[in-house]
Amino acid sequence: MAGNDGKSKLSFLPTGSKLHKISALLTLLLLILAFSFTSTAFLTVNNGLTVLLQTSVIGLLAIGMTMVIITGGIDLSVGSVLALAGVAAGLVIKAGVPVIPAMALGIMAGAACGFVNGLVITKMRITPFVATLGMMMIARGIALQLTGAAPISRLGEAFGTLGNGTFFRVVEMQDNGFPKVIFAGIPYPAVLLIIMAIIGAFLLQKRQIGRHIFSVGSNEEAARLSGVNVDRTKIWAYTASGALAGLAGMVLMSRLVTVQPNEGVMYELDAIAASVIGGASLMGGVGSISGSMIGSFIIGVLRNGLNMAGTSAFIQQIIIGIVVIGAVYIDQFRNKK
Amino acid sequence: MLDTASPKTPLIQMTDIDKQFGGVHAVQGVSVDLYPSEVVGVLGHNGAGKSCLMRMLSGAMTLSGGQISVNGEDVDLKSPQDAKKYGIETIYQTLALANHLDAAANLFLGRELKTRFGNLDEGRMYTETQEALRQLNPNFKNLKDPVSKLSGGQRQVIAIARAIYFQAKVLIMDEPTAALGPSETAMVADLTIRLKNEGIGIFLISHDMHDVFDLCDRVIVMNKGRNVGAFRIEDVNKDDILSLIIKGTLPDDWTPRGQAV
Repeated sequence: MAGNDGKSKLSFLPTGSKLHKISALLTLLLLILAFSFTSTAFLTVNNGLTVLLQTSVIGLLAIGMTMVIITGGIDLSVGSVLALAGVAAGLVIKAGVPVIPAMALGIMAGAACGFVNGLVITKMRITPFVATLGMMMIARGIALQLTGAAPISRLGEAFGTLGNGTFFRVVEMQDNGFPKVIFAGIPYPAVLLIIMAIIGAFLLQKRQIGRHIFSVGSNEEAARLSGVNVDRTKIWAYTASGALAGLAGMVLMSRLVTVQPNEGVMYELDAIAASVIGGASLMGGVGSISGSMIGSFIIGVLRNGLNMAGTSAFIQQIIIGIVVIGAVYIDQFRNKK
Repeated sequence: MLDTASPKTPLIQMTDIDKQFGGVHAVQGVSVDLYPSEVVGVLGHNGAGKSCLMRMLSGAMTLSGGQISVNGEDVDLKSPQDAKKYGIETIYQTLALANHLDAAANLFLGRELKTRFGNLDEGRMYTETQEALRQLNPNFKNLKDPVSKLSGGQRQVIAIARAIYFQAKVLIMDEPTAALGPSETAMVADLTIRLKNEGIGIFLISHDMHDVFDLCDRVIVMNKGRNVGAFRIEDVNKDDILSLIIKGTLPDDWTPRGQAV
């Protein structure tokens, strides 16, 4: 996606954002290099696939989050919406609906939450922070109320396919009768993430809605005076974020083959961190899907590498916090020049 | 002199316009008209209500009372899109540019050119922008920089190009030269006359008496939200106008100065 022929593609973005993306990519490569020294098991195909799988949920959330952040807003509700979407899908499966329509319904539930966010922000003129904070509690509350805070399990094998299935899995039967996995296969969630990221980047760069998302975040009043339907653009962005949160919920719950109503807590913060590390500005008008994907993988690789090096979960939080502050600091430094 | 199209229907007729913000009367019972090939100056203090009046015409603000008609047809301008539909384009004092986007993206913002498949037609937008900007400023080169990186004059050129590219019938210019150097100011003056000769009606908000007397056919003066005077430019001089702007009344000994003609 990134400026493949060097002209006109991304050129309406500030030139500095390419710089930021390159520095983020370098950080990612450095991290991979460093972790491959701390653990021999890190730089293996299998672990690479694991990182892909683990990052896909945050990556999906980060796509929607990036769109919202570019409009100058924020979506704190995605973690809760993810859980509510999972609960919606789980409940209708229990009621006898087949898996695919049930998952579609889960995604729609997520989109509906995002749509409500958009309405509250544009029509009631509530700031995005407060509106989505409210939705964070409402969606979580509904998810817990509907399930009595208990997980929904025994959803059938088909429910687990999206999260656990793989392409190109190679298994060989050994002489002793046990199968040996030669290539674990590319996980469905990773492929899904790549597809959604390409769609997201296409919408942002090549379609009118993307142009309007940038303009609203850059100068909302100018966008309005130029004839951009600001409310519609914002509602679109929050709805997309909600739908992607729903999709991420399907992936996560499917991986667990269980619906956990208390899953996804604080995921919004990872998604925001991924966007910001990838160069999105919380002031709006700046950001890219490719950057956010790099940001997601920086977080994913950090988590995975630190785990393999035996670092405690608490230390991991500290380190990721420092990385976020560092990324924003570098960004400011670049903008001052 | 009087053939300035007075028998024709006015391009714009604003009648008894009112605008209130809570208890504040920003505009009270103001009526203005505008004919094709005419420049009407809208003058007044800061806060006299002139920008507010023009914002209602450009659809950026809704009326509290009164009626706007375009070509004799009553219209309801609820949004800037509505105004643009009637050919009313505005160059805002703030320029209304999205800083992170480049010249082409700003020029076509809200009215993007698309390919057959509904994608943005970047190529066509660039060539059109290049063409439109070259007419105003032959030296314009940084087409692909975000407009935040451009000079005040270049930004102004983009704002002007955006207003005239879409075949405006009515142009509202809100202090178009406030941010410009002398040569660019002259360029804007030339452009104003050229557009006027093409049949466009122009409302010019300006504090620069020079511009006003050089360019305008008529002036209206606003004071505290009211229209305190509407004159043909020949009938007044600088002192009359300043008196109206400051006191809201004409000098005591005033008689129409252009009567000899």
